[in-house]
This record gives sequence, structure tokens and C-alpha cells, in this order.
Amino acid sequence: MLTTRSAYLFLLPSLALYLLFVGLPILQVFGFSFFAWDNGIIGEFIGLANYARLLGDGVFWTALWHNAIWVVLTLAFPLLAGLVIAAILAERGTNVVRWLGAIYFIPRTIPLVVAGIIWGWIYNPIFGLLNFGLEAVGLGGLGGAWLAQESTALLSLNVVGAWTFFGFCVIIYLAAIQSIDPALYEAASIDGASWWRKFRDLTVPLLRGSTLFLGLYAAIEAMRFFDLVWVTTQGGPGYATEVLTTHIYKTFFLVGDFGYAATLSVVLLIIVLTISAAAFALLRKP
Amino acid sequence: MTKSTRLVQNLVLLVFALYALVPVYLVFLAAIRSEADLFSGPLTLSWPINFANFGRIWTEAGFSTYFFNSVITATSVTLLVLLTAPLAGFAFAKLRFPGKELLFALFLAGLVVPAPSVIVALYGNLQALGLIDNRIGVILPQAALLMPFSVFMMRTVMQEVPDELIEAAVMDGAGLMKLFLTIVVPVVKPGLMSLGLITFLFAWQEYLLPLVVFQTESLKPLTVGAASLQGRYGVDYGGIAAAGLIAFAPLVVLFLAMQRSFVRGLTAGAVK
Repeated sequence: MLTTRSAYLFLLPSLALYLLFVGLPILQVFGFSFFAWDNGIIGEFIGLANYARLLGDGVFWTALWHNAIWVVLTLAFPLLAGLVIAAILAERGTNVVRWLGAIYFIPRTIPLVVAGIIWGWIYNPIFGLLNFGLEAVGLGGLGGAWLAQESTALLSLNVVGAWTFFGFCVIIYLAAIQSIDPALYEAASIDGASWWRKFRDLTVPLLRGSTLFLGLYAAIEAMRFFDLVWVTTQGGPGYATEVLTTHIYKTFFLVGDFGYAATLSVVLLIIVLTISAAAFALLRKP
Repeated sequence: MTKSTRLVQNLVLLVFALYALVPVYLVFLAAIRSEADLFSGPLTLSWPINFANFGRIWTEAGFSTYFFNSVITATSVTLLVLLTAPLAGFAFAKLRFPGKELLFALFLAGLVVPAPSVIVALYGNLQALGLIDNRIGVILPQAALLMPFSVFMMRTVMQEVPDELIEAAVMDGAGLMKLFLTIVVPVVKPGLMSLGLITFLFAWQEYLLPLVVFQTESLKPLTVGAASLQGRYGVDYGGIAAAGLIAFAPLVVLFLAMQRSFVRGLTAGAVK
């Protein structure tokens, strides 16, 4: 391998851009969180006072809880669906794989803003397709104002999140399955293993790396998603769909409390970095 | 495989295909229907297709401008990333230099940084630089936020370049930049294509940055335009559907046309 100092010149453009617009703001946010702010102007140093406020901030804990629920739901549903679908597709013809793979991925190409609008209609209590469909099959009693009532808002939104994400899982899992040695499956077939046995004892363990990657990806996205909530419920009704990012946004742009918004940002950063460190440790372990 | 296993499998494939497609179909349907029969009648395509919604949204609601803005922003971000990330990816994959591990770790950490958590400081910085309500104020931070993923992916792509190719060029006395442009770039062209497509997709989908940076209506992209339409156009569902379709149809078409390249890029970003 070439040892050369011109490597730094190759790094310079991307590194400069990254440090200026991502690295520097992160350091600043850390700094901001130790100060009191008044109308966007930095005030006196108050140490950890902003952090102490977290303890008594019910909205913060509600938001954190919602993010945690979102992590668990995303790990459970789209990942599992992606794995099962990929395992099924792996045994189908190239054209089936190409077409279905494309269809499953289409929702991921749709901006979350638009996804939120479309699903807002499906969930609409007056003309929405979901209530209409439930009525058509005689389950009209189950219908409701899906995004407008506290009991169903978060779950209903998660269905939209899963809609945009499961196709990505299919593609990642499929690529991984296709790189598994087919001889392993043939040997299992000769031993008379059922589809389910092969799935459980071969596919799932051999895809551990992809599962960890997708799990990390899903957990990070679950901690930092914003668009979908903002265009549909803005955290409501009440605080039923409040998440950390909407809490930050409101604290910063609507309340104008820069110091506390920075503190919330630091907490979010620490959480995502901790999750990734844990995932990398797992990934390194054979 | 038994017949019932096969049947269950086909059912799973079908249910998820419907889950993926029905919402897209509905918005398409709403966009090409007239106001009167929007939510009545069967959910089948009506003929002839009614383009009135598109016309109204395109000219009256300013979607020609939003569309143009999305094209400008997404293209600029893509070009900026394509001009910078491959150089860094090459350095990380094929060159040795002091501090390499540390610098790479710095980029890696950026993979998970949530945009909303930097916005608190970024907003003030953009203000100080006079970049609020300015295209540059979205393009530069957007490219910077995409940089960790892009550099990471480019490193994976560059690792595939045979060392012999590079060594042979060095023996011939080629400068590093010349080597990169004449030997490396032609080899990794498919990878660059994938990076360009994925960057374009993400940049087109971006909502938060343009939402907070742009105040002037004539600078806003489709995502911001479509979201604000919901409030402004209240019950003009046909119009909102047409707007949504304008906002995502280019991406769907691009993805379907370049599927192989997209998939290559997505899987190259995944840890092997």
C-alpha cells in the first residue's frame, strides 16, 4: 500500500465540509447546553442545570419512551418480514425476484412527507380507506380516528414507518442469502430438512451479520426520525406521538429555548452513539 | 416443498406486495379523478384520465417552481458528493498515512448523527454566514450530512480496485491525481453511478433542512411545498394527490429504471 502525505489532500474536501457543517455544530451544541439562553442570546454559564431539567421534563420521558417503542416495533416487524420474504424469494426465478424486489422497495423511494400525507388519508375517520374496508367486512366497530386518538396514533404511524422500511430489509437480506453457498442448502435437502428447518437452522444463523446491520440501522432511524411525525401529527394528539426530534424542534423553533434544545440534542447524540458502539462490539464478536 | 408451504409463501408475497402498492395506487387514483367522484364509486381507474388536478397544482400552486428547486438542490448535492467522497474513499482504501484510523472513525461516527440534533447550532451558523434563505445553505449541510455514508460506501467500492493496477501506474511515475482520474475512476464507474443515484434520492427526499433554511416561497422544494399544501388546500384532495405524485414519481421512475445500480449501492453500504 502506498504511503503518502498527499492522502490528506484527497481527504481535505470531504473532511472540511463534514467538519464545518456536522462536526463543528456538534461541538457547539455540547457547549450551548451548559449555558442559559435568552431570546437566542447566550447568557451565563449554568453548569449542568439544563441537564437537571431533564429529570422533571415529563415530555422528554414520554418522547424517549415513544422512541423506545418505535425501536422495538421496527426490530420486530419490518426486519422479520424482510427476512421471511427474502428467504422465500431466494428460491424463486430471477424475474419474480426482480419485480417483487422492486415493488417492495418502492415505498422507500417516496419522501416521508408524501408518505405521511397518503397514509393520513387512509387513516382519515370520515373518508379513509381503512375504516371503509373494516365496515365492508363487518368490522366497522373497530374503526376510528386512527391518527387523532391517543390510543392508536403511535402504532398507526409505525405502520407507515414499516411500510417505507421493510423493502430495504428484503434487499439487504436477499443479497446476503444469495452469497450463501448453495451446497449447504442442497446438503440439508438431501437430509430431508423441511423449508422451515432450513430457514431456522441455516438461513437465520448465517444472516447474523445482516441482522445486526439492519438492527443497528433500524434502531438509529427509530431514534432520529422526524419528517413522518412532523407532517402528520406534530407529536399529537396531546403528546401521543411526541419523539425526541419533535421535542427538540419545538423547544428550539417554537419555544426559543436554545440551551435546553441543545441539551436534548446532546442526549439524543449520546443515545445513538451508545447504540452504535454496542452494535459494533456485537459485530466484531464472531 | 409441499403444496401448502408453497401456498402460504405465495400468500405472504402477495400480502406484502399489496401493502407496498395499495397506498401508491390510491394516490394515483385520487390524482387523476375529478373532484366530484374522488371518494365515491369503485376503486378502479376512470377513463379518460383527468389531468386537471396536475394542471392546477403545476401552475396555480407553484409546483413548477418547487419541482425546479428540487432538481437544482438534489443535483447540486449529488455533484458535490460525487466530487469529494470518491477521493476520500480512495485514500481510506488504498493509501497509508498517519492518523488514518482516527480520521476514518471520525467519519464512521457521523453515520448515525441525527440532523435534528445539529440543527440547533447549524441554524445559527448559517445565519452568521448569511446562508439562511439561500440555496447554498441547504446544499452544503446536506452534502456534509450525506458525507459519512458516501465516504464509507466509496471505501468499500475502492477496495475492489486491484492493487496491481495502482502499483503499475505508480511504477510508470504517474502522479496520484492522474492515477486516480485515469486508472481508478474508469474502474469504479458503476460504484460512482450507485452513489450518485442514492445521493440524489436522499437529497430529493430531504425535508428538515429546506424547511428551516428557506423562507422565500420561490426557493422551496417539493417536500416542503407538498407539506404546506395540506394546510393551504385543506380539502382539495385531488390537488394534494397530484402534488404528492409530482413529488415522488421522478424517484420511482428513476429507481425502476436503474434498479440494479441502486441495489448495488445499497448493499455496498451494508457491512459485510
